[in-house]
Amino acid sequence: MTTPESPHKTALERERPNDSLPLRAANFLGDTIDAFDTLTRRYDDGPRADVRAEDSEGVRTRLVAKRAKRKRDRHAKTKVAFLRYSYYDVVFRFFVERVLDAEFVDLGEPTKVTLELGAMHSNDFVCAPFKHILGDYIEALDAGADVLVQFTGPCRLGYYGELQESILRDMGYEFEMLNFAEIAGKPLKEYVAACKKLVNPDLSVAQGVKGMLAAFKMVECLDAYHARYLALAGFDAHPGDSDAAREEFFAAMARCETRRDVEDVYRAGIEKLESIERDKPADALRIGIVGEYFTAADPRSNLDIERKLLAMGVEVSCSMNVTNRNIRYNEPELRREIEEYVAYDMGPTSTLTIASAKRYADEGFDGIVHLKSSGCTPEIDCMPVLQRISRERKIPVLFLSYDSQTSDTGLDTRVEAFYDMIAMRKASR
Amino acid sequence: MPTQNKDSAPYADVRSIGLPRALMYYRYAPAWKAFFEALGREVVVSRQSDRAMLERGSARSVDECCLASKLYMGHVESLLDACDAVFVPSLANLGRFKSFCTKYQALPDLVRNTFDEESIRLVSCVVEDQQSKTSMRTAFLDLAAQFGATPKEAKAAYKAGRVALERAEKDARESFEKALQGVERARKERRDEDADESLAILVAAHPYVSHDRLIGGPVVDALRDMGVTVLFADEFDRERAYKESGKFSSTMPWLINRELIGAMLCLRERVDGIVAVSAFPCGPDSMTNDAIARRAGNTPLLSLTVDAQSGTAGLETRVESFIDILRYRRKGGYLQ
Repeated sequence: MTTPESPHKTALERERPNDSLPLRAANFLGDTIDAFDTLTRRYDDGPRADVRAEDSEGVRTRLVAKRAKRKRDRHAKTKVAFLRYSYYDVVFRFFVERVLDAEFVDLGEPTKVTLELGAMHSNDFVCAPFKHILGDYIEALDAGADVLVQFTGPCRLGYYGELQESILRDMGYEFEMLNFAEIAGKPLKEYVAACKKLVNPDLSVAQGVKGMLAAFKMVECLDAYHARYLALAGFDAHPGDSDAAREEFFAAMARCETRRDVEDVYRAGIEKLESIERDKPADALRIGIVGEYFTAADPRSNLDIERKLLAMGVEVSCSMNVTNRNIRYNEPELRREIEEYVAYDMGPTSTLTIASAKRYADEGFDGIVHLKSSGCTPEIDCMPVLQRISRERKIPVLFLSYDSQTSDTGLDTRVEAFYDMIAMRKASR
Repeated sequence: MPTQNKDSAPYADVRSIGLPRALMYYRYAPAWKAFFEALGREVVVSRQSDRAMLERGSARSVDECCLASKLYMGHVESLLDACDAVFVPSLANLGRFKSFCTKYQALPDLVRNTFDEESIRLVSCVVEDQQSKTSMRTAFLDLAAQFGATPKEAKAAYKAGRVALERAEKDARESFEKALQGVERARKERRDEDADESLAILVAAHPYVSHDRLIGGPVVDALRDMGVTVLFADEFDRERAYKESGKFSSTMPWLINRELIGAMLCLRERVDGIVAVSAFPCGPDSMTNDAIARRAGNTPLLSLTVDAQSGTAGLETRVESFIDILRYRRKGGYLQ
């Protein structure tokens, strides 16, 4: 095999293409100069050893250093990765493929290693979602992602993106970050500009808007389906039927291309789910799940507490989902519902947590489970309010706090004890 | 003239206001005192933090709350019978990237639900500039009206508060600069001598940590016992610090953490070391401490997390060894 003619060859090389002696000579000369240079520096005027942490660019100030624009490969689509968040990977894929017109990096199921990686590179008392997501990003970058997407929020979430980007860069990864914290609060065209700059310069805005509407519809359909699943799946005559139907539904959803497809798949999915043979006792226990944005909705963060409850034959409801917190969220309206308990907005998901707990109590649920990441300030601040709701409206509340543990034995014990308690309480009435 | 009826002026009958000496008191005390005094109210400040207060506060708090928040509850409890109402504002933000920890935002509701059985009376207002455009000024003018003040009186009271705060901040800035220059001068003059050089240590912590006797007190005492000059990062020029923080981070949401980081960046060449103190488990600090540590450059940084521990020996050991290292280094004992 012959190497193509390089335009940078010296005149000498062009004259005698097969003779590498000049090159070897040059290398030898260079090495010698280097060695002398090192010798003088090390043994004459310099300090005996250099233990300073300073790098050659001097003291750095910026957490995430500015850098040159990534060169675009015209022959390949940009690979975009999201974090793992519950069943929304279907929507993330749709967003990447239909809105950004890029390639989606499928992360698959998380493993223990994911969290170990994330926790290893995080501060130990940062909230648990940060660790989960950092683990996701490391796996995404190892899988070849070019762009990572991070959201923003009014709590620590607002700083996730920048800190994670800096951690990953300090680890040596090269990538772009589509960090919505940089854009939040700005007009829509800034979002479009950021997507064009980082992901796809040929992005079609018309196509994108159409895709976004379908994506929102998809979120609503997924959430509505999941809510129905939680209410029904605990009572399958043949355990596992609902789970199988749900898997099938998600797979069908992942194949949708338009808003119409989404609606059709949803209708068919719900029909299928409802038609499964069930055996529901008249006095089935009902448990409502409330809590923090990530932990309450993400099964690997809460060690799949929904499935544990369903397996016990409980009708479950979980108020925390993207539809309730974002798409159809109405802060003033919800706050009016709970004005006897709180006067102000207490944090990102606080109003939703308190309002849903109150609703569950009023609708005669048998218990409430409050899920949060360890150290989640806003949800910790909700706890005295939930305790008061529990006292005044006579409903037991189980408070669970999650960090990077992966064993669920302790959780099983607590959930079973809670179940026994509310079951006995119900029987005695 | 607005009529002073109960609906428009629900606080008209409040004669004395309690200020818990905790959390944002350490930042806004001069303004709050002057404001309420200008409205003709008596201001009662809770006593300095002590261990009994922390124990009372912890008993009332969820155990995962941060140390400073537990202490706050202790302060509120100590005020229960000492005043007509306790002032607990909801501070959300002063604009974009000028947010407060959600703890200060949730405080009024947190206090109300924690002291539910004592039927505590609160005076409160909400400061939320980012979405609802409720600035500090709007919030306090509105609050004054709720005390039955006329618009003119309200403006005068707000102005009194603002002027008092500005004066206090200016004094702090000046004494900060003076102390730092003092160290720098001493350093120059004593260059050749063998004696211990004077060290300037920047204590970077939320004001309610560094100035509280119970939380940051032991750290500051340990530093002073070692004969170093202690400088508080929150007393540095706040505007300059905030601006400087923009060079560090484009999306950091928290105002106070920005000011602390800005101060560290402005001063890292001028001080001998930085001691960052956090109250366990501080939400914002859990993220920013990590970030700072990776960009501190050559300035030695000691990061301390304080919880409700009853002994201070461990803390003293760490502070002493940090200062010893700095001194030894200054004398050329370590490889540079």
